[in-house]
Parts: sequence; C-alpha cells; structure tokens
Amino acid sequence: MAKNKSNTAYVSDIDQYNLKKTSPVAKVFIYIGLAVWTFVNLYPLFWMFTFSLKSNEEIYGLNVAGLPQNWLWSNYPEALRTGNMPRYFLNSIIITIAAMAITLIAALMATYALTRIRWWGSKLMNSIFMLGLTIPLHASILPVYLILSKLGWLNSYQALIIPYSAFSLAMAILICTGFMVDIPKDLDEAANIDGCGLWGTFFRVILPLTKPAFATIGIYSFLQSWNELMFANIFNSKGDLKTIPVGIQAFQGQYLTDWGLVGAVLVMATFPTLIAYVFLSKKIQSSFIAGAVKG
Amino acid sequence: MKNKSLIKGINIFLFLLPALILFFGILIAPIFMSGYYSFFDWNGMSSAKEFIGLKNYTEMFTSNSIGFGKALKNSLLLAVLSVFIQLPLSLGLALLLGKGIKGERFFLSVFFMPVLISTVVIGQLWLKIYNPDYGILNVILGKLGLENLQQLWLGDKKLALWACFVPMLWQYVGYHMLLMYAGVKGVSTDLREAAMIDGATQGQVNRYIVIPIIKPVLRVSVIFAVTGSLKAYDLIYVLTNGGPLHATEVPSTRMIEMLFQRNRYGMGSAMAVMLIILCFIFAMIISAVFKEDR
Amino acid sequence: MKKVLATLLAGAMVLSMVGCGGTGAAAPAETAAPAEEAAAEEKTEEAAPAEEEAPAEETAEAADGEGVTLEMWCIATESDSNRHSYEAAIADMQAAHPEITFNWEATENQAYKTKIKAAVAADEMPDIFFTWSCAFLGDFVDAGRVYCLDDAYQNFKDELPEVMLANSTYDGKHYGVPLTMNIVGLFANMEILKEAGYDEVPGTYEEFIACCDDLKSQGIIPFGCAGKETWCVTEYLESVIEKSVGADALNDIFLGRASWNNPDVAAAVNTFQEMVTKEYFDPAGIALSNDEVKANFMAGKYAFYMNGTWNCADFAADPNGFGDKVQVAEFPVINADKSKLGQLIGGPSDTLAVAASSPNAEVAANYAFELGRLICHYGYLDGCGLPAWTPYGDTSTINPLTQAVSDICANADSYVLFGDTAMNADSANTYLDYVGMIYGGEISGEEFVEGLTNDIG
Repeated sequence: MAKNKSNTAYVSDIDQYNLKKTSPVAKVFIYIGLAVWTFVNLYPLFWMFTFSLKSNEEIYGLNVAGLPQNWLWSNYPEALRTGNMPRYFLNSIIITIAAMAITLIAALMATYALTRIRWWGSKLMNSIFMLGLTIPLHASILPVYLILSKLGWLNSYQALIIPYSAFSLAMAILICTGFMVDIPKDLDEAANIDGCGLWGTFFRVILPLTKPAFATIGIYSFLQSWNELMFANIFNSKGDLKTIPVGIQAFQGQYLTDWGLVGAVLVMATFPTLIAYVFLSKKIQSSFIAGAVKG
Repeated sequence: MKNKSLIKGINIFLFLLPALILFFGILIAPIFMSGYYSFFDWNGMSSAKEFIGLKNYTEMFTSNSIGFGKALKNSLLLAVLSVFIQLPLSLGLALLLGKGIKGERFFLSVFFMPVLISTVVIGQLWLKIYNPDYGILNVILGKLGLENLQQLWLGDKKLALWACFVPMLWQYVGYHMLLMYAGVKGVSTDLREAAMIDGATQGQVNRYIVIPIIKPVLRVSVIFAVTGSLKAYDLIYVLTNGGPLHATEVPSTRMIEMLFQRNRYGMGSAMAVMLIILCFIFAMIISAVFKEDR
Repeated sequence: MKKVLATLLAGAMVLSMVGCGGTGAAAPAETAAPAEEAAAEEKTEEAAPAEEEAPAEETAEAADGEGVTLEMWCIATESDSNRHSYEAAIADMQAAHPEITFNWEATENQAYKTKIKAAVAADEMPDIFFTWSCAFLGDFVDAGRVYCLDDAYQNFKDELPEVMLANSTYDGKHYGVPLTMNIVGLFANMEILKEAGYDEVPGTYEEFIACCDDLKSQGIIPFGCAGKETWCVTEYLESVIEKSVGADALNDIFLGRASWNNPDVAAAVNTFQEMVTKEYFDPAGIALSNDEVKANFMAGKYAFYMNGTWNCADFAADPNGFGDKVQVAEFPVINADKSKLGQLIGGPSDTLAVAASSPNAEVAANYAFELGRLICHYGYLDGCGLPAWTPYGDTSTINPLTQAVSDICANADSYVLFGDTAMNADSANTYLDYVGMIYGGEISGEEFVEGLTNDIG
C-alpha cells in the first residue's frame, strides 16, 4: 500500500511536467471540452431540481428552462405523502448492501479456489462462471420466480438479494481473477510454510492483498442492484418491500403529468446518493484506482 | 497422501460453495428450465403444453409479428454505437484525466455522477427532457430560433432509437471512464517517462504504451457494453417500451411481451435461450479479438 | 333511479351477445339471457330499496371467517382514479368484518399484468385478485386456477344481474365479480367548440367531419390520442369501425365467429386513417402516454378526446373546473345502412376473481362479492363508471358527465366489448400491432384486414 502511494505521487509529478508541455491552445480546447461535458452531466440534474419546484402552470406557461418563479417546496411533502420514498430508499439500501456483500464474499472465495489452488477443474470451472456474464436477467424471470416460490422466499429481502448477488457474480469473479493472478505464488508457499492452511492463507494473505478490488466489484454490484426494476416489481409486491425503481415507476398515472411532483420524487430518489457520493468520492476513486481491472 | 488430497478437495469445494449455490440456483437452473420450455407451445399457466420441437426458434426469425430479427438489429446498432461512440469518449476522458490535469478530481467526480442514478430515474428524467411541448430540449431549440430542429424525439420512428441511445451513453460513460482511468493510473511511470525522454508525443505515449497496457480493461468494457446492449431493457421500458411502431424494440422487450402480454411462454423462453447464446457468442468473439491482438 | 335501471336493462339486452366463451367460441349466456333479464328486472326493483338502508351490514351468510386472513391484489394505485372507491369500500368491509384480516396491495397496470401472470404460473396467487374479464381471466380459468363463484353468487343474485356476469362466465360457470362497466365516450371541450362557433357536438358524421376541418382551419387540433399506448388508438378506431359496419359484424369478428376478411372493415379503417392523414390528430400524440394526452386535453389543447368513460371522475374532479367545460357524446353514425346510434363500444371489464388455491376460497368468494358491490357503489358515486351492480343509496350527487353517460347507455342498442379485452392475449397483441401500424400510416385498411386474416383468422 505504501509503495502504491509513493507511486501516485511520482506519477503526478511527471504529469505536471507533461501538462506544461502541452501547448496553451490545446489546453484551452481541452478545458472547453471538459466544461461542455461537465455541463452535459450536471445540467439535466440541475434542471430536474428546478422543475421539481415548479407548478404545472409555470411549466405550461413555458417557463421550462429558467429558475422557478415561485419556489414550490410544497411539492416535496406532497410527494412524500403519496409515495413512501424514505421506506423505498431504506429497502433499496438494505438490499443493495446485502447483495454487494454476498457478491463480494462469494466471488473472493470462488476466485481463490480457481486461481490460487491448483486442481484439475479450475480452468473449466472458471469458463463456466464466465457464462454468467452473458445471461440476461430478464430471461429468467419466471424460472427464478418459481424457484423463489418453492423456497417460500417471495416478498422478502432475500427474494431480491440472492438473485442480485447471483447476477453480479460472474463480473465480480472476472474482476477478482485479474487481481489474484497477479499476487506472487511465493506468498502462498511462504504462508504454507508458516503453517497457514488454505483458509489461513486466504484470510491472512490473499484477502488483504485483494482489498483494492473491493471498490470495483462493489460499484458493479451496486449498479446491478440499485437499478433493477423487473425482478423487484414481481418478486416483492408488498408495499413496504418496494425498492426505489418500483416506487418511482408506480408513481405514474396522473402524477406523470404533474411535473413538480414527479420532479420532487426523482430528486428525492437521487440526491441523497449523490450527496453521499460527494463526501465519499475521494475514497471511492482512490480505491477504484488501486483496484483497476487487470487481466 | 490420499487423505490430504481429499481434504484439499473438500476445501476447494467449500470455497466454491457460495458461488456455486448462487450460480446454479439462480442462473443455470433457470436456463435449463427455459431451454426445456422453449420446445413447447405453452401459455405459462395451463397444465397442457404441446411439444413442438424447434418451431419456436424457426418462427422467431421468420414471423414478422414476432419481430425478433428487427429487435436484434436494433440492439446490435446500440452495441455498435456503444463501442464506437461511448467507449472512445470514455477512453478519451480517461486518458485526459489520467494524465493529471488541474481539477482532475472534480471532473472525475462529476462525470461519474450519472452512474449513481437509478435507471428508472434517468428514464423519467429524459422523458421530460424529450417532451415535445415542454421538454427542455425543444424549448431551448425554440429559444435559439432553431424551431426547424425541434423534433418528436421519442415519437419519430427514425429518431427514437438514437434518442434512447443518448441517455444510455449519458448513464454509462462515467462508469467506463472510471474503469479506464484506473487502468491508466496503473501504467508504470517509468515507461511513460522513458518514452517522453525519447521524444514521444503525448498521443504516441497513449497509443503505444498506455492503451496496450490497459487492454484488459478495454476488453471488460467492450464485453460489458456489447452484452449490455443485447440485454438492454429497463431504460427502453421507461422511455418507449419498444415504440413508436416497434422502432425501439430490443430482444428483451419482445421477450417480455411474449412471456407476459401474449401468454406465449414457450416462445418467450426460446427468445431467452437465443439471447443467452448470442451474448455468449459475442463475448467469445470479443475475447478472441483481444487475445489475437496481444 | 329509474334512469339507472333503464341503463341496466339496456345493458342486459345486449350484453348477452358479448359473453366470452373461454376456450370455445360459443357465447354461453346467449340463450339464458332473456330469462335472466326478466328475473333481473323484477329482482332489482324489489331489492334495491331494501338495500338503501344498510348495505354494509349485510354479511350474506358468509361462511364463518373467524381468524381468516385474506389478501387482495389490484391496480388501484395511489394515482388511479379508482383509488378512493377501493379505499372507501375496504374501510367499510373491515368495519363489517373485523374477524377477517384483510391485506391488499396495488400495482401499476402494466407491471400488474406481469405480476399476476407470474403468480398464476407459480400458483402463488392472492386470495382475491383484480382481473380484466373475457380473455384475460379466461386463460386463468382454463389453467384451473380460478375458484368458481356459482355458489357464492346465489347470495347476491338479487343485487347483481346475471347478464353482468356474462363476460366472466366460461362454460356456463361464473368466475368473476364485475365492478363497473365503461364505454368509449366522445369527450368534447365545449369552451373550444363555442369559440369556434359550435354550440354542441355535431350529430352526424358529415357535420362532424366538417367541424373538424373547420377547427383545423382555425388552428385548433381536433383530437388527441396517445400513440404510445395502442389501446388508446383502438378507442377511436373501434368506434369508427362499429359505426361503419355495425355492432353485430364487429362483435362476430372480435369473438372469432367471423373472419377479419371483410371489405367493409377495410373501408372503415381507411376512413379512420384518413382522419389521421388529414391531421385531425395531434402529431405529438404518437410519443405521448395516455396520461399526458389527457392532461393536454384538460389543458385545452384539443377539442375532442375519445376514451373510456372512467375519465368522467377525473374530469369532474378537476380543481380548475374542467368538468363544466366538457361534454360527453356518442360517436356519430358513418354508415346508416349498417349501424345506428346506440351501438357502443364497452361493457363490464373490471372484475374481481378468487384463486382456486386459496385456503379460504369460500370466505374469499363471499368477501369478493361484498367488496365488489361496495367498490362498484363508491366507484359509481365517484364517476369511475356505470355500476354493474344494482345501485343503492343517494345517487343524486353523481357528476353530470357520468349522468350523461348513463343517458347514452339508456338508449344503447348493443355493445361491443373492447377488442383487446375480447380477444385472447396473443391475438389481441397482434391486433394492437396492426392498429399501431394504421395509426403510423405504415399500412392501408386493405393490408390491415389482410394481415389480421392471415395472423388471426
């Protein structure tokens, strides 16, 4: 880890030097490009926020682009009343975090067995797991539903946690593999000589060294679980188990045309994550960098 | 000795167990179930199902009203757009930021933001952006005096698929960018430095040193983008649900219609199997291409 | 009261023709209907006044439901116009049946269809579930997943005319509790029409078309229609076809008794398409959902809007007084030789059914009937549709729009059920595909008929 840090510092030294060499004209273009892309990324979010504070009269009166004339904060409590956003949020968080954790543990253990232990079937097994990359989630709705119903798991957190973990697994193993392959084999042997068994080696040697991969895997798993609509809609029909995507999609009907209310719901479903991200972004990024996909 | 290898075997199995349970329980078993159903004419609920062999598979590609071929074409177009527009954009941003630029952290954070937004929110937001009367896009075009550029973005048969692609791009550029950025940052500084001293330009360093090294990342990104396009569903569902006039149908929207609107469970299962086979073939091709290059 | 009764009778007369035969093409209620109709007439008159006093207290000799838990799924989400009637009805039921624990949940329409089908496939249905009548419920009945309501119906037959069950009767057995019935109405924004120089909705087709041309020349869009939801197009198209070829011919086609191969239908479809090509429809409509089109209509963007009469509730309840501006009328007759006024599109479709797998199916059946009656009652008061059950209580507060619909129905000659409800799921979607192509101008009426003949029959 320490080695890594000094490395980055070194990189930025060099890079400052590189940038100085870039011609000022090119620099201007680069910054214009970045500014445009920043605008493209931020403006829709800003616009979403402004229309969440407008009434339909204002939108229909064609004050679509500007700031609200009357800041209609009342859209928020009203949107809160009609849906149950805080609850959906909580559900989404519980399900996503659990799915991330399960994906991570299962992937790390499996990758260890596939890459660090020598046995006859490891290559084949790895290929089979890679099959998972290609399976569309929506293709298995009914079979998964039947399986969950046999287990009596419908309408529970695990009805989503387990399938979400399963569908992130292949990618997680792929990411992990890149990592574990790079760890020198001598380390295992040294650990073995020190009296560590397979499990000891896994926990004491391999896991700490694979830590940088966690963020990359975590974000992939997050994307899968946080966004998923179809499974959530069908497997968890009980009102208090709904996730954010289901809650928003259910917020249709007459509200679809009530711009302010829809905006308020969208903002409530988005901004908490973004704010949390702003605080954590440094950490997420550095672990992401440390956990770059390798092959 | 025998005992030892047995213990090793048990340990390997235990390490694999959680992944195996998830994998076979939730991914593989359903495929076999779908594969089995795909040979039947079945509505998904009655006890009577008729074995019809491969008829679902042949009908899938011959019948116009099934429309699988067209849906497949659409998703392949999305895949091509992703690989040739989205990924180069991500790579460009990653190289630019990875080289160390003032405000690097800020740009990185901002560009990653759309990734954190739920697809349904993105869909609803872009529905509003594209709204023909009050959407920001047409309103801004109107204010700029470009009325003739105003469009029914999601209502025009020729435009709709492109209009669906833009939010997809918007959503995932940041993700690919961060993956690649991490790769770029991992490139050994000695290599870069040496090349710079030899008089290589920035572009040459990127082309001959950085890109070859981050190839594994690119491979993952390409696989993710292509299979993601083939599997696309949620965003299309919110934006157009396959319309107007089937202009934005993708395999998944056809499959869901077969399964749950038309009660053609056998056909829907056949589509699921076909989709898996296609994704698999593409993943193999992509891997092969990247290997050959190496 | 009288008016409503007349409505019911008119319905009774013709709904008999609409019955869905489940697997077979035959309409089971056909022969039985006239007798039933008479019975219904007598019973209604007797029963109705008695009901006025205390409808909710009647427990209808329900089987002992002590400690029973019932679960219901429906589509009355927070934003659905039926939401209030469900809430009110359920509150009444919970007060009347404290011994039964009742849980319910609502899912948005599109997602609900997926959910209920998955549940039927896995035999994981709730005790009571919302369904559309005819083909939708028919598939579930064929699969043996729906509880037969014949026994429970005996307790309620005085208040629920048997003809109203025709759409949920398969092989002579009743499987559904009807709630409300709706027809397609031609809604007109009278404020816009008056400004354009029209005091009423034109009564003949020629006048109507002339009016549309006139509106267009004044820069007013005559119609709004959501191209994103093809069923909205059918609301227009089916009315045009019916008023061109007649209700009987259309019914025969929808129920599979006659082929689509009918030149008159092709001509009627061309008539509709001409309305599209002459730009009577808002071109932006193709990208909009029904809710957006409806909001546009309420915002005064279109002169006319054809859609189900369940919209009366929302129009009447509009805080900006839209209810006073809007009128409902019947689509004019196009070919007087084959059709006439009084031939309508619609019928009872919203239905409650009970799962065969329910451990308390008998209790659930009685509960579904009682609940259905209350939902129908409150829904009617709210203006969500006309009652399938004999109305009771004070109905004078019903909004004038719903009253007008009731008048139209009172003069009804015959009904044709919505095509996508009448046909089985696969055919219905094929049909919707072709309707979409007509609206998009991709095919002609002849190709429409030819395609449907090949794909459906």
